[in-house]
Amino acid sequence: MVQVVFEKVSKAYGDTVAIPGLDLMIESGEFVSLLGPSGCGKSTTLRMLAGLEQPTSGNIRIGDRDVVNLAPAARDIAMVFQSYALYPHMTVAENICYPLKKRGVAKADRAIKLAEVAALLQLEPLLARKPGQLSGGQQQRVALGRALVREPSVFLLDEPLSNLDASLRAHMRAELIELHRRLGKTMVYVTHDQLEAMTMSSRIAVMRAGELQQFAPPDEIYNRPANVFVAGFIGTPAMALADGSLADGGGHLVVHVGPLAVALPYAAAARPAAVTVGIRPEDVLVGEGPWQAQVRLVEPTGYETIVALDAGGLALTARVPGSKALRVGETVPFDLRRERIHLFDKSDGRRWKPAGR
Amino acid sequence: MKKRPAWIVSLVTWPIVLLIAFPLLWMLITSIKPAAELFSTSPTLLPKAITFEHYARVLQDTPFLQYFANSMILATSTTVVVISISVLGAYSLVRFAYPGRETLASLVLFTYLLPSVVLISPLYLMLVSIGLANTLASLVIAYTSFALPYALWLLRSFMAGIPQDLESAAMVDGASRMGAFIDVVLPQALPGIISTALFTFILAWNEYLYALVLVNSDEARPLTTGVMTMLISAFNIEWSLLMAASVLMSVPLIIIFAFFQRHLTSGFGAGGVKG
Repeated sequence: MVQVVFEKVSKAYGDTVAIPGLDLMIESGEFVSLLGPSGCGKSTTLRMLAGLEQPTSGNIRIGDRDVVNLAPAARDIAMVFQSYALYPHMTVAENICYPLKKRGVAKADRAIKLAEVAALLQLEPLLARKPGQLSGGQQQRVALGRALVREPSVFLLDEPLSNLDASLRAHMRAELIELHRRLGKTMVYVTHDQLEAMTMSSRIAVMRAGELQQFAPPDEIYNRPANVFVAGFIGTPAMALADGSLADGGGHLVVHVGPLAVALPYAAAARPAAVTVGIRPEDVLVGEGPWQAQVRLVEPTGYETIVALDAGGLALTARVPGSKALRVGETVPFDLRRERIHLFDKSDGRRWKPAGR
Repeated sequence: MKKRPAWIVSLVTWPIVLLIAFPLLWMLITSIKPAAELFSTSPTLLPKAITFEHYARVLQDTPFLQYFANSMILATSTTVVVISISVLGAYSLVRFAYPGRETLASLVLFTYLLPSVVLISPLYLMLVSIGLANTLASLVIAYTSFALPYALWLLRSFMAGIPQDLESAAMVDGASRMGAFIDVVLPQALPGIISTALFTFILAWNEYLYALVLVNSDEARPLTTGVMTMLISAFNIEWSLLMAASVLMSVPLIIIFAFFQRHLTSGFGAGGVKG
């Protein structure tokens, strides 16, 4: 079974350290997204895996082979580039067959493979054209075809959808999910778009400044972010984050945040001195509750409306049904889903788990 | 922009074209006039009789063909040498990081800025000391020395315009770096290579000064100096023969231009904008 393993991989450009030391283990057949803001080292990580960049130190394994000293051609990988990188002087058919040709596959076998891939990606009518004569979506599919044709053990995709318009992107997302399901190959996908990462991945590696923040399935990333960065980065609209403190409210835990004192259903055992409190928009229930907040901003999106609230100095965001009419300046009562409040230790930013959870 | 009537455009352009083309036309006319008509006191634009005797004489009675072959060998070898070196050099300047890369590129350009007259004497002495004086090889070296810098810069701007992702993709797809260079970079740079090759060929074909100084035997003399020395003496200029030879000299360039003009203009344009 093919695994991809990064062992203490670091990368520095001169004095600038891009990746201080990365440990990552990708299981066979997984769809893993490397997600993070630009400059977080996700593309560098992928390029090191491809062999286009040499790590400064550390080890990278694909299957049971150390690949650090192998040329890209010897790594049994295929890569789709953000720019697609189709060879402009070759036809679609020649582009797709190029990896086979370079590996000495006989002409007759190449034709068979080409026909398979062309059928899979609906490229048959385009085979004789040059890349310059194709639309963005078609170029995208040719780039995928060139990666698929050789049946490599690992697929690398570097922001392959970012040059497409929104509707085509949604369509290609669905196609990629379907493709991964059908092929069952390991795929490593670099993106800065959390929607892409959340919808397609079996696991997401959230990166920041070259360091892995959390590596977990999408629902865990969303529901149990490992630290303040992941909490703030994942989710649209973003989670409200505010400083708070924990206290003993007669045996159970009470979190003080802004003017609110929220009793939590946990025992008040050992607790950090100061915490960062995170509250997702869907966990703010507008309509009734013990607290009052002023409506600062109303953003209708159709199905639902995003509301910015000011609860006595504490800024919150809420999702309310699109049918609910709210006016800016109005004061509304609200409640919180207390068991879904996220707590992070202020000293190190890590998620803090109350005892008994 | 408002479109000007076609006749105004023609009125302006045709006189300019005629002005530029007239010497060429005169050369052609003179070369097919009988010698007697050349010096008639009332010169005529169109010849009364057409003769090709001057061409026959140039080809049969003079070493013209020898010079022509020399020029061909000279221009072709210079082009091959310059293109081989500058394609690899330009790629290196664009893709590989090494200390002094930019300095090197600027220094190369600096040599191009020196007037060629300045370099003749040292170059001549160097060629004598390595035993190459008076050979075609000495001219190939001399031409390479001033065609190469320009070729490097022209190709550099072309190669800088080729996305690096293309090579990365080729390498992931199974090519070595050299393989990626041949399969992807060269075809992409082809218009640039063609225009650089044309530039070099024309330069070597038309060069006069170095040919005059470095070579003085018929075995190694190219057309430019050869035609001059054989037909212009202190006492007499064989105008008809000179013009016939000049026409024959121009033919290869005209043929090449006809074939590659599209590449030449697009090449210089693209290189200029990107550089």
